[in-house]
Amino acid sequence: MVFITGKTVFILELLKQVWFIVNSLQKTAGVLKFGRAKCMRQTAIQVKNISKSFGKVRAVRELSFEVEAESCHGFLGPNGAGKTTMMKMLYGRCTRDKNGDGLIDVFGYDPAKDELAIKYLSGVVPQDNNLDEELDVISNLMVYSRFYALAKKAAASRIDYLLGFMELSDKRTARIKELSGGMQRRLVIARALMNNPRLLILDEPTTGLDPQVRHLIWDKLRQLKRHGTTILLTTHYMEEAFAICDTILIMDKGAGILRGSPAELLSRNVERYVLEIAGSHRLESIVDNSILNRFRIDRTQESTRVYCDDDQLLRGLALKIENAHYFLRQTNLEDVFLKATGRALNERQ
Amino acid sequence: MKDNKEILYPSLTRRLFGVWFRHTRVYTKNLFSNGLPPFLEPLLFLAGVGLGLGKYITQSMEGLTYIEFLGTGLLMTAAMFTASFECTFGTFIRMEFEKVYDGMLAAPITANNLIIGEIIWAGTKGLFFSFAVLVVLTCFGIIHLPQGLLAPFVGFFTGMMFSVLALLVTSFVKTINHFNFYFSGFISPMFFFSGVVFPISNLPAYVRPIAEMIPLTHSVRLTRAICAGQYDWILLLDVLYIIVFIFLIGYFAVERLKKRLVY
Repeated sequence: MVFITGKTVFILELLKQVWFIVNSLQKTAGVLKFGRAKCMRQTAIQVKNISKSFGKVRAVRELSFEVEAESCHGFLGPNGAGKTTMMKMLYGRCTRDKNGDGLIDVFGYDPAKDELAIKYLSGVVPQDNNLDEELDVISNLMVYSRFYALAKKAAASRIDYLLGFMELSDKRTARIKELSGGMQRRLVIARALMNNPRLLILDEPTTGLDPQVRHLIWDKLRQLKRHGTTILLTTHYMEEAFAICDTILIMDKGAGILRGSPAELLSRNVERYVLEIAGSHRLESIVDNSILNRFRIDRTQESTRVYCDDDQLLRGLALKIENAHYFLRQTNLEDVFLKATGRALNERQ
Repeated sequence: MKDNKEILYPSLTRRLFGVWFRHTRVYTKNLFSNGLPPFLEPLLFLAGVGLGLGKYITQSMEGLTYIEFLGTGLLMTAAMFTASFECTFGTFIRMEFEKVYDGMLAAPITANNLIIGEIIWAGTKGLFFSFAVLVVLTCFGIIHLPQGLLAPFVGFFTGMMFSVLALLVTSFVKTINHFNFYFSGFISPMFFFSGVVFPISNLPAYVRPIAEMIPLTHSVRLTRAICAGQYDWILLLDVLYIIVFIFLIGYFAVERLKKRLVY
């Protein structure tokens, strides 16, 4: 009896030890996990190896990228590059191809499972303005506030604020048809901001708008970013990408081809200066081969672009060309874009 | 990265209400042009029958005068037509032309929620349209209250029945003109072959099973019994038909249409 009791005590003691070890291991793991969670908080969106096919067309091919929280990320690419599809997959409007290891993570949620949580945290500005034309400005926003189950009073004050923020306060009772394109766009943005989103998704926010409105929208986006909103946008305007994006992903035919900050993209991928000459010119007869080798020449039927890191060489070249209009400038994202995606139109454009 | 507290997005009821509220607001914005015709239509119909056609029909139908017989049928055809239009042309325009759904699906609403909200809204329109007919019929003493007050509720379910069917059709349609086939080939004939203008008992024996298969027959029989206050156990079969129809066709409609909204 005594013997058995002794054994039991021994086993109990052993179990206690094991429990202690397991417990402390768990704690360590917890700390590790917490530490990781803390540094991962910086990542708002994580996409790994995502593809999307529509029938035979592969709209998005094995795309991976990350977006830091409170930053602005831009998708650049020709029409049909898969930018819109990629963004739609983030909030569950498009499903992704099931290919095993693909992953989409938006604030810790997977759109395939937690579509509603992601939508609740995000605001979306679609490519086309889709306001309810039957309703006036304020009713449009009121109707939308119901989708977030905002109480009437809270909604009214939020709408007041948003109209002020997008500089539409004097259009409260205007009908949608009375609004200009720029005003409609601003209203769609105001609508997307209804629930104070942590993530704002904009599909070509400023296409077709005049420079004043475009700059106003840029300012508002910068302001939102400063206050902690993560912004995701597609655009065809290189200066837009340059002006507001912290990181850019250039896409072509569904794949990501270049990624980085605007400055990085420029310095890594393209010469510093470009000389644009009207008309198609053969430069071999004008300059020596030794100099010619330092140029990168991009020629179409009606224009010649000469890229080089040394502006003096380009200046020298310009002086030698007779009877031609030329323009020497620093390269910009458009040059990177054309170099990366090619000048010719593809079948999806 | 995930927050500890769960995101409190709106409950299912709130989400469905949001969709319904949007449609109601848009509909009631033009109350005059949207709300008056439902009352005018039965008036014109009754005028046509009362002043003209009715003189030739002296025989009673299923124990009702012709105007009573037709009137009780009109309660349901009104619901049928409005729900059918709403969920064919209306839904298609919202989906393809106005892109209204793009905006709604960006809010915390799933495609399922949106489609079911659509069905509930069509039911509501069915209720309102049969209510309008009821008001007119009551004014002319054709239907007697209070039992007639139940008719709009049958209108609600009739609206749902035809909306699920219409949504199923919409899920197949590629261009808006295809709906013409649905209306000329299915909805209009239903007006004649489901006991609205004459009793289906008068149809040839081989056509009657078809009449029993189509949805409107059951709504009309139910409404007529309610308005006349003549309840019968057999009516439970009509109720069962309506419920099964809504759930069965509704299931396929949601599944198919969802693929057009989330692709």
